[in-house]
Amino acid sequence: MLKFLPYTFKTLWRHRSRTLLTVSGSAVALFVFCFVAAIQEGMDDLQKRQAAKGSLITFQANKFCPATSHLPQDYDQDIARIRGVKDVIPIQVFTNNCRASLDVVVFYGVPPDKLQAARDFELVSGSWPEFENHQDAAIVGKAVAARRDIHVGQKFSIGDLSVNVAGIFESDDPAEENYIYSHLDFLQRSKGTNLVGTVTQIEVLLNEGVDQIEMCKQIDEQFRGGPVETDTRPKGVFQAKALGGLTQLISFAQYLGYACVGLVLALVATTTLMSVEDRIREHAVLQTLGFTSGRVFRLVMTESILLSIAGGAIGIGSAMIVLALSSLSVGAEAVTIAFTPSLRLAFEGMIVACVTGILAGVAPAWHAAHTEVVPALRHA
Amino acid sequence: MPLIEVIEVTKKYRKGDESITPLDAVSLEIEQGEFISLMGSSGTGKSTLLNMIASIDRPDSGRIIIDGTEITSLSRTRLAKWRAENLGYIFQTHNLVPVLTAYENIELPLLLLPISASERKRRIEVALRAVDLLDRADHYPRQLSGGQEQRVGIARAIVSHPKVVVADEPTGDLDPVTSRQILDLLKRLNEQLNVTLLMVTHDADAALVADKQFRLDHGHLVQTGRTEVPVQSREIHKQHRD
Repeated sequence: MLKFLPYTFKTLWRHRSRTLLTVSGSAVALFVFCFVAAIQEGMDDLQKRQAAKGSLITFQANKFCPATSHLPQDYDQDIARIRGVKDVIPIQVFTNNCRASLDVVVFYGVPPDKLQAARDFELVSGSWPEFENHQDAAIVGKAVAARRDIHVGQKFSIGDLSVNVAGIFESDDPAEENYIYSHLDFLQRSKGTNLVGTVTQIEVLLNEGVDQIEMCKQIDEQFRGGPVETDTRPKGVFQAKALGGLTQLISFAQYLGYACVGLVLALVATTTLMSVEDRIREHAVLQTLGFTSGRVFRLVMTESILLSIAGGAIGIGSAMIVLALSSLSVGAEAVTIAFTPSLRLAFEGMIVACVTGILAGVAPAWHAAHTEVVPALRHA
Repeated sequence: MPLIEVIEVTKKYRKGDESITPLDAVSLEIEQGEFISLMGSSGTGKSTLLNMIASIDRPDSGRIIIDGTEITSLSRTRLAKWRAENLGYIFQTHNLVPVLTAYENIELPLLLLPISASERKRRIEVALRAVDLLDRADHYPRQLSGGQEQRVGIARAIVSHPKVVVADEPTGDLDPVTSRQILDLLKRLNEQLNVTLLMVTHDADAALVADKQFRLDHGHLVQTGRTEVPVQSREIHKQHRD
């Protein structure tokens, strides 16, 4: 079949405007498909990671936005004493936007001595001592640094809050790269003295084998009737709840991705059918020369698949480059989802492009292969 | 034993309420290396007969045997393979693939055969030389004159060394001078390559280039020449059975 590839390429090139328009349309559709899939992938990744980590988040009961949750900081000691708890991390959260946004900036104020143990970070620039020894220092996730053009040594301000950037970190967890970590004390004081002694949430790390749901109940039971009641959930569940409607929106956006695949299918099928209709006589000539119906079928299928793959490669490639360079994320209530471009996603996109090309080519290829030769030779 | 045996072939079709029988129990035998011309006015079924011998059309009844293979009983796929190995077809309107050069057009039928790239190249060069178009190998059909296109079509038809070459009005689209050149070329190829050639034509002068001339008249085949001799199809059929 490879012997006929030059013929196929030349046939596509013969109608280059039509070919280029089809490839462009497929590329745009698969670009959107990849973009949508990248958000979905980011959300799935977030939930999977949190489920695997087995950590819990204790929040103030009946509060939803981080700005309204104020837990007494000493709750951390009460929780730490519960059997099965490995460690607790009191966290003050500050975000520039509680609502869904594509450029949310989230500060997590954490005791610096606990940060390295609780998170799997690697500094790509700057230094840990610089962060640990200066109260107004912060380490910034690689994605937010790229998005906001933040560099080590720079002062970064958002609203009333200003930090000195002591380091840029990368993480296996793409969502983490959208956060800025500062000192807990600093974040409590920078927003006014009334926040000293309170935290937004407490992250609870559990020993292996501990039942997360039971532990949530136990923690909430402990503070029931206390000055501030708590609402504890596994971290993945907490994040899904925080993202709320955004999660539904992302799930709905999947259908947009499927619609894009449908668009590619229709586009490639139309172009291939037009090409076949234009060449009824040519295919009859080929069959007269000795091309079997099967070979003509495969020739048309090759055209369809090439169109789809070319569009797919351009669209998916562009999406991967844009996603990688833009470090985009979407967030709500201080939880972010990173748009995650991955090789798996690119591979899946190419499979989709390939399958779409096959499906789009079947009807035109069948039509070309089963044309009656003699009437087709008379075709003007 | 004749190379081509057409035995009591009948073809009918309907045109509105009218039933037309362009071929009515037609029989014909063609020997290896013969050059046969087939004449007849429009709609008499000469192209239908040619297409059935070329195996791209099927008779309603009757048999066609070429070099011992009854092509009327082969499946569509086996017929295509048979054509690739045994048949060359010269079209009236050349029917070259417009995106391919003269060289690539001639190469097309060879791509279907189990031969090496070097053998393909050799055969294409021989075919191009035979039609005197070696210097036009890289030209696309749109860069060639009508006569040159037809010569490429002829080269494409002979390049795979087929047992039979059929030509459907090969000079129908050409001016008289070019027509004469093409007819001379066909005659030369028939004589030099000993290729069996069946040509359908409207042109009585063109038909005279062939060794034997036949005419289709009201569904029956008549051998023409100085005296017209009706072809006794039943007798041929009987001889074949014997």
